[in-house]
Amino acid sequence: MATEVREIVMADAGERDLTKLAEYEAIGGYQALQKARGMTPAAIIDELNASELRGRGGAFFPTWRKWSFVPKPDQNPNPHYLVVNADESEPGSFKDNEIMARVPHRFLEGCLITAHAVDSQNVFIYIRGEYTGPYEVLVGALEELHARADLRGDVTIVLHRGAGAYICGEETALLESLEGKRGQPRTKPPFPAVQGLYASPTVVNNVETMATVPPIITMGGAEYAQLGVPYSRGTRLVSLSGHVANGGNYEIENGVSLRDLIYDLGGGVPGGRQLKAVIPGGSSTSILRYDEIDVGYDFNSLLKLDTAMGSAGVIVLDDRCCMVQLGIRVNEFYEHESCGKCTPCREGTRWMTQILRRLEAGDAEQHELDLLLDVCDRINEKCLCPLGETAAITVASYVEKFREEFQTHIDEGGCPFGDSSPLHDVLAPVAQHTHQGWCQTPSLRGTAR
Amino acid sequence: MNTAELVSLTLDGEAVQVPKGTGLVEAALAAGIEIPVFCYEPRLGPPVGACRMCLCEVQPGPPKPQAACTLTAQDGMIVKTALTSEVARVAQNATLEFILVNHPLDCPVCDKGGECPLQDLTFRYGPGNTRMTFPKRTFDKPIPISPLIALDRERCILCYRCTRFSEIVAEDNQLIARNRGSQSQIATFEDEPYRAHFTGNVIELCPVGALTSTQYRFEGRPWEIQNVPTVCGMCPVGCNIDATTREGKVKRILSRNHHEVDQGWLCDKGRFAFTHLRADDRLTDPLLRVRRRGLEEVSWERAIDEAERLLREAEGRIVTALSGSETVEEAYALARLLRRGLGSHNAVLPEEVSDALDAFRLPLSAIADADVVAVLGDAPVVERAPIVELWIKEARRRGARVLYELDEDEVRNAERATLIWCGPDGQGGARVGELAQRLGASGAFYLPETANGRGVCDAWAVAADDEAARPDPIGLLLVSGDEAAKNPAVRAFAEQAERVIVIAMFQELAGGWADLVLPGTSYLERDGTFVNLEGRIQRLRRTVIPPVPDELAWIAKLAERFGVEISPYPSAVFAEVSEIAFGGMPFGEVGEFASLPSATGEPTTPEIEPLPRAATKTGLRLVRYRPLFSGPAVERVPELQFQRPAAEVELAEDDAHARGIRNGDDVTVRSNGTSVTLRARLTRELRTGVVRIADEHAAELQPSVEITT
Amino acid sequence: MSAFYDEVQEIKAQYPDWRSATLPALRLAQEKHGYLSPDALRECAEALGTTPAFCESVASFYDMYHLRPVGRHLVEVCTNVSCALVGAQQVLEGFERELGIRAGETTGDGEVTLRTIECLGGCGWATIVAIDNKYRTHVMPDGVQAIVEGLRNGD
Ligand SMILES: Cc1cc2nc3c(=O)[nH]c(=O)nc-3n(C[C@H](O)[C@H](O)[C@H](O)COP(=O)(O)O)c2cc1C
Ligand code: SF4
Ligand code: FES
Repeated sequence: MATEVREIVMADAGERDLTKLAEYEAIGGYQALQKARGMTPAAIIDELNASELRGRGGAFFPTWRKWSFVPKPDQNPNPHYLVVNADESEPGSFKDNEIMARVPHRFLEGCLITAHAVDSQNVFIYIRGEYTGPYEVLVGALEELHARADLRGDVTIVLHRGAGAYICGEETALLESLEGKRGQPRTKPPFPAVQGLYASPTVVNNVETMATVPPIITMGGAEYAQLGVPYSRGTRLVSLSGHVANGGNYEIENGVSLRDLIYDLGGGVPGGRQLKAVIPGGSSTSILRYDEIDVGYDFNSLLKLDTAMGSAGVIVLDDRCCMVQLGIRVNEFYEHESCGKCTPCREGTRWMTQILRRLEAGDAEQHELDLLLDVCDRINEKCLCPLGETAAITVASYVEKFREEFQTHIDEGGCPFGDSSPLHDVLAPVAQHTHQGWCQTPSLRGTAR
Repeated sequence: MNTAELVSLTLDGEAVQVPKGTGLVEAALAAGIEIPVFCYEPRLGPPVGACRMCLCEVQPGPPKPQAACTLTAQDGMIVKTALTSEVARVAQNATLEFILVNHPLDCPVCDKGGECPLQDLTFRYGPGNTRMTFPKRTFDKPIPISPLIALDRERCILCYRCTRFSEIVAEDNQLIARNRGSQSQIATFEDEPYRAHFTGNVIELCPVGALTSTQYRFEGRPWEIQNVPTVCGMCPVGCNIDATTREGKVKRILSRNHHEVDQGWLCDKGRFAFTHLRADDRLTDPLLRVRRRGLEEVSWERAIDEAERLLREAEGRIVTALSGSETVEEAYALARLLRRGLGSHNAVLPEEVSDALDAFRLPLSAIADADVVAVLGDAPVVERAPIVELWIKEARRRGARVLYELDEDEVRNAERATLIWCGPDGQGGARVGELAQRLGASGAFYLPETANGRGVCDAWAVAADDEAARPDPIGLLLVSGDEAAKNPAVRAFAEQAERVIVIAMFQELAGGWADLVLPGTSYLERDGTFVNLEGRIQRLRRTVIPPVPDELAWIAKLAERFGVEISPYPSAVFAEVSEIAFGGMPFGEVGEFASLPSATGEPTTPEIEPLPRAATKTGLRLVRYRPLFSGPAVERVPELQFQRPAAEVELAEDDAHARGIRNGDDVTVRSNGTSVTLRARLTRELRTGVVRIADEHAAELQPSVEITT
Repeated sequence: MSAFYDEVQEIKAQYPDWRSATLPALRLAQEKHGYLSPDALRECAEALGTTPAFCESVASFYDMYHLRPVGRHLVEVCTNVSCALVGAQQVLEGFERELGIRAGETTGDGEVTLRTIECLGGCGWATIVAIDNKYRTHVMPDGVQAIVEGLRNGD
């Protein structure tokens, strides 16, 4: 397969300023909406089924299926809500950022089509609070849309800003947050489609998923399904970052080789350094070694390697990186972002950090490496939502793939990379995000800064 | 009961049948199998699945352990607990290990030790040792959440039971979780105390020793105490309680969940006011007025002699003022003595009873099932019968419309409407009975102001049936109980009375006006029965020996001198009353969890006065009320003083908006030349035209007021 | 009260349930008071019709609300993996040097607060630094001085 960009979601955004409604209409924008309004909701869902589109937020759930779960009005008289997940906070992912900033109208058009398909008059876009740039673009786009009753129809779109919490990307936590509460996930069932926002039927979809809907309606589902590989159809916006020459977003057909993605599009590892590892789908996915990247960038191929496309954030690491330090940095992120509701995630991630810090400092004994893995095991599959389990699985994957490096930390009583690893002593925000000076937490910092 | 659809499931290999919708935890319990829980507490709303103690293997379902507390029994379900599943065993063990990594394990100095779910579950499911070698999180401790409650954050396992109670059940939103992740902690706003009507429940809800009672801290070990089942005598709800006693003293009050009455909740008065038993000014010796020397302590024999003398000298010109805090038996004994023995039928009764309500008798729990609840009478429910407020809140959560202004059509059209009268006494019962009959309500409640007002009135009524005429002049005023002694109307009678006998617990109430003071006892020191606002007859048990003779005992002795025979034993007296008033129900049948006699009689249409009008001609109508946290007992509990009502005036949103008043503004309330400055509190729980102020802040205000900013 | 109160009422009207106005109201209150002081939380509670405790509970969950005073300017350096890999730590140290404070602190004159932050969603353009919530991309240690000077000169 060729490693070239294939722009469907981002189509024409390079040549034109698609943040302007007129420009977007000039390339046929909002015609998919008009077409969809001429279709029954069932027909739209069929079209999505034909397209085999799966959610781009991370869980890869068939979009048409999710829509079809929404009960019919005679089964549940409550209003239906469409909630768009624009909370993008997964380390390594920044695709929704660019979609909202550059093709806001395609995204909004997708929202309007989806609202029609699930019989909703109320759309809430939950955008992460830090995204002030995309927020302003969307405010402008919505103003333009507001003046156009022909496009807007009877749908109200409310932009709701988050306030800094990764967990609010998880759909039920997002709903809690949208309801004005602490963003703690709910137990499922009941699923949002049945009992979501304000206990009413709710569809939650990712920004990219929404922005993919108009092209599907335009070109037809079957045509869209020609792109990509079985099970992973169409295109995907991949975010490249880390030790790669040309970081950025690239829209590609699903299934291109991960190696080509990094070396052709990304320009390879800079500074003449060697590739050590790749995190293929945002920090929540298990790591791949340098010798595992001849793999198709699609769901099934990555699954065979026990990892996932996740939110398509590819993080490239060169040979200077200490895997224990990576474990610390990634795990402290999850510790910091744990909502604190369920026990294994809240207590387990903190304990993991403590053990990892000891390993890094060279103070750990042999059994503590086993303890680390056992703690991971005891977190995994026991949590209320995937956040804590993710920490456990990814850190365990670092140990599994680079066990000898962890062993060296024990054998040599310290970090073999010294200060040379770029992750050396990176200051995680754990301490500073604490709002109250309340707890005499013993210092976790291994080395003095 | 048989209408419920049954489902069959397999629990640890055993076939179990339960009604559809039964929670797995309860289904397991029915089969004698334990699914351990911490955060699960059905009274706190839908399950949250937070603590992960209940992880079990469940089929069908994802191939990983499931939080059983969040699931309901389904046909064909296969559940394996730690008993039969290694996956579940490891999962539960893991949860406990995680809970304990930062727990201080200070059980030897923890009040919860010995009655602690965390200890018990660790014993059964937990790891036997710790692999945690790092310094644990530490906090300052204990942190006063209020003068009543201490928080030991190190022990907290973040099950969120306490905060869910505050948010969902009491709806006071004061006890909260702060921060996120492993930094999360339980807190109140700033340094403000947790100040609300039901705060103490969080102590009982806490499954570890994180929230403890300041009154009970370090006061006893579980093996040194006895729990005596009785009922609370602080208000007409009559919550079922256990009085924990140690070495002859009451140490704490716990709830004893009667699911129809209190659902296991107590208000803070019921829970914390018991220390008035040990108040400094508690009377133990009778006092006799000796000319010029004032009141003097005398022996009980002398006191009974004096009482006899005063009663004889009055020659039947006696008025008896009752409190509504007497037991049925005590009130009956007094009534027999005065009515039968002395022909004195005149009494100031705590209530005016009406049997118009009997046809609409329902348990309090039925309020939660109503689709319309109308709260009438303008006084705040929570101040008079606190638990009723929680039932109303539950009804609202379940979707009921709660009306504070009567909308007759809405009541008429409701399938299950409940009327609640909380207002000026007098004809309250009759009035709400008449309304219920006319509008076709399914339940009607009248909230009396006193704990056993109903029982006392019944007892007084059945003791004899002669008409009473108020004597003039009053030869003797017999004041029974602290509430009557505090009542200004009774005080006014005393001005006209030649002699006064007072039965009271506290010095303060005796001084000044009494010729003879007979020390009284508290509901925690008595045996007998109370009739609550539902009409439920409940058993009071003596939890500790009072420092003074029991009322019933000395009344019986005194009555003998007037040729009236009364047993000093509550059981015998009850039998006598029951014969006439309670259909002959034997004392033994009152039971640990009393049942409610079924509704009786035909609905009647009593003569009534119309509902009081909202606004007066000239302004807003002021409703003064007696706050829950007031009265002789509360005044004697220093830890409860912070709960005294704030200097506030409550007003309806419409009235506030019309006057440009916002929540929290300082406003002036004026009538007839007097005025007070209070903070405005806007409420939806008030009719337009009515404002409310607690007695102690209402000064000399008249019933018609105007409010300005 | 007043303007803030009225604005909160308008926000409430956008949602079926007043609670949904909590996050926007907290943001407004923070803009008005500089940070969510106890008084700001009280004001928020009055406008929302809830308790200050509820407001604090929600506010303290989210990183963007400040329950402690912050400087007039906020400098947030992303130190998550992607930024860290290409030198976020050095950028941070650059700010620490230029401002004379450690991460998590505010300059003595109350002008600038510096803190680290988790992934800001700009990983391919690392290092990301948010200055008063506006992203700067590709920040290098040698570019820090100019940024700080810009802040000091008020642009
Ligand atoms: C911890 C966690 C964080 C998540 N963050 C995001 C996110 O930032 N954006 C997103 O679209 N989905 C996120 N998800 C996935 C959502 O829960 C949900 O599956 C998705 O929004 C559904 O949209 P889709 O079907 O269009 O993919 C997250 C999931 C978890 C467990
Ligand atoms: S204080 Fe007790 S009830 Fe509250 S969260 Fe902690 S353990 Fe649970
Ligand atoms: S009891 Fe089930 S998760 Fe807490």
